[in-house]
Amino acid sequence: MTSQARSAFMAGFLLPATVLYALFVVMPVVQAFAFSLYRWRGISANRTFVGLENFRQLFADPIVWLAIRHNLLLFVGTSVVILAMAIALAHAIGHETGTARFLRAVYLFPQVISLVVVAILWMFILNPSFGILNATLKAAGLERWAIAWLGERSTALASIGVAHVWHALGFYIMLFAAALRTIPPDVMEAATLDGAMGLTRLRYVTLPMLWAVLRIALVYMAIGTMNIFSLVFLMTQGGPDRATEVMLTYLYEQAFKHSEFGYATALAVVNFVLVMALSGAILALFRHNPQEGRA
Amino acid sequence: MKRTKYALLGIAVALTVVVVVSCGKQSPTATKELEVACFKGGYGIDFFEQAAREYEKAHPGVKIKVWGNPRVWEQLRPRFIAGNPPDLTYPGWGMDHWALVYEGQVIPLDEYLDSPPYGKTEGRWRDTFEPSLLELCQYQGKTYMLPYFFSMLGWWYNKDMFEKNGWKPPRTWSELLALCEKIKAKGIAPITYQGIYPAYAVSGFLIPWVISAGGIEAFDNAQNLVPGAWKSPAFLKAAQMMDELRRRGYFQEGANGMDHTGAQMEFLSGRAAMIPCGTWLHSEMRNVMPKDFRMGFFLPPVLDEGKGDPTAVGIGIEPWMVPTKGKNRELAIDFYKYMTSLEKAKQFVEQKGTLMSIRGSDQANFPEHLKEPVEVFRRAKTVWSVEYRQWYPRLGKEVEDATAALLAGNITPEQFVERLERAAEATRQDKNIPKHTDTRGQAR
Repeated sequence: MTSQARSAFMAGFLLPATVLYALFVVMPVVQAFAFSLYRWRGISANRTFVGLENFRQLFADPIVWLAIRHNLLLFVGTSVVILAMAIALAHAIGHETGTARFLRAVYLFPQVISLVVVAILWMFILNPSFGILNATLKAAGLERWAIAWLGERSTALASIGVAHVWHALGFYIMLFAAALRTIPPDVMEAATLDGAMGLTRLRYVTLPMLWAVLRIALVYMAIGTMNIFSLVFLMTQGGPDRATEVMLTYLYEQAFKHSEFGYATALAVVNFVLVMALSGAILALFRHNPQEGRA
Repeated sequence: MKRTKYALLGIAVALTVVVVVSCGKQSPTATKELEVACFKGGYGIDFFEQAAREYEKAHPGVKIKVWGNPRVWEQLRPRFIAGNPPDLTYPGWGMDHWALVYEGQVIPLDEYLDSPPYGKTEGRWRDTFEPSLLELCQYQGKTYMLPYFFSMLGWWYNKDMFEKNGWKPPRTWSELLALCEKIKAKGIAPITYQGIYPAYAVSGFLIPWVISAGGIEAFDNAQNLVPGAWKSPAFLKAAQMMDELRRRGYFQEGANGMDHTGAQMEFLSGRAAMIPCGTWLHSEMRNVMPKDFRMGFFLPPVLDEGKGDPTAVGIGIEPWMVPTKGKNRELAIDFYKYMTSLEKAKQFVEQKGTLMSIRGSDQANFPEHLKEPVEVFRRAKTVWSVEYRQWYPRLGKEVEDATAALLAGNITPEQFVERLERAAEATRQDKNIPKHTDTRGQAR
């Protein structure tokens, strides 16, 4: 085969996927950028070009900043907890015993449940009247702690964070469990012989070996929390008094409740840029494995 | 190269032939097809399907396709944008109705409303509707929507609990406070509410008490965005009343964290004695309602020396409309005329257990839980409807957020009314928001 024929052959295989990708992924994104420059009610073909007006309005909108803050809080809060728990649990169930296999299935279980069911489940758990959480607190004599978790400004966002962790944790346990298995046993053995045990071994041996996975996990978590929608929408509607408003619930409100599709698309564009920036920042920040130089 | 050209031409010709032939096949006789898209809520769409079959039988050559689902508005949006909407639609509460009107997507119906009702040669179709409901469908003097059934807003109480303890539904504020104290002493929550959806508290507490304190004008002025209306003494008074109930502990603890079904379950299970809700409560909860549960309906208790009409009642409609780009306008209207004939209206009342916008339909056999609401409506000298929420969604959202904050004790009544007025001012100043100036809350 000449090199030209080979290129043509390869192009033939790449073309269908590229066309589909361009049509269904790239096009809508480009279109979204275009729509964000219009005032459009999203109910007729009628729209008015307003330039960057939507963006100007958006940056002056205090609720946008509030929503971004909530997204970031969720990211920071849940990723710390998920990382700590996922690495610890992955470690604990890393060996090949029946119990470990069973637990792996159990931890993955929330991941396969639909988010709608997760939301309803947690609404039951957190229900102020018959929820299991408040019942437990009352039984333990902590009546003062039995509050309307989703109805209080101070606890609503954290409650959603807990539900999110519960749902997402299994995936990261699997991720880290798989990564742990790629660490050659002789490395661990050598570390042990050198006297590195427990937290020391975790810090100087295990974590550095997991670095690449850790980086990707953080990017996943950033995407997951910046794009969080169903849990918030179902559990609190962004309330009480916007205490759990996130970018996508605000976007939904603007588009479907207020018929401000142009503004909503501008929000989508900003969220897209934010997710890209945050992912890029994480990749850059965690590029250098701090232990690599010492090895 | 030439050969390719001919091949393409051949394909084009073949396709054209196929298209022409298949088109020809579709219309052998002059069948008229009507597409009706409906919101499938608590009352289903079977009634409309049944009506379509009956109409087809009476009008040979007409074919009516009725379809719907619980999120039909999501499918309708792209159809409207593409200029290919159904002929007649009931898009449901999730659709921004007024946006359809502003964009010219639905037709003004006055010409048809002035024509005779279904199967008649004289009289006006308009006169068969309850006028106060038809007025909710107007913008700049034209009628763009048509009411079908309607809901009433009020409070429900647990009848057995009340009878067993010798309690009576309170009519006034002082009666309410006295009763709540007694209920609380029994270890029962006097009032619960759907905290996650503050719209219930707005139409169940705030607006009725605004009207009681300041008369219907106080609410009309607010809806019409008269400067200062949202922080008038009437609004402050209503906010103080809500705050007082909260401070006295008469609201169920944790209600601010409950969604509608959660709070309604609290009421049905007897842990709370009263709940504000519309007349849809029964149909919404019938699957989980204890078999022998009996509930009664009454208007929110009014201030002892209130200015407002104590018979004033809140109502809500879910309108139907005729899209501008529908293909069979006349047929759509005639079918809707059939659906709103007195006979069909009475059937709807009896089958679905709700109130209808057609005059005289209240002579039907109402189910037990609707008897009190019907009485309340017959006695009502004033009706009101939360319209600003549909007219100005952003204002509506802010009123609801502020209400949630007030009920949680996060803000004072003074701060509450300041917030409402600020939101109203923002709407007033926004030139891109079309303004409604039709006064509502009229005497019947």
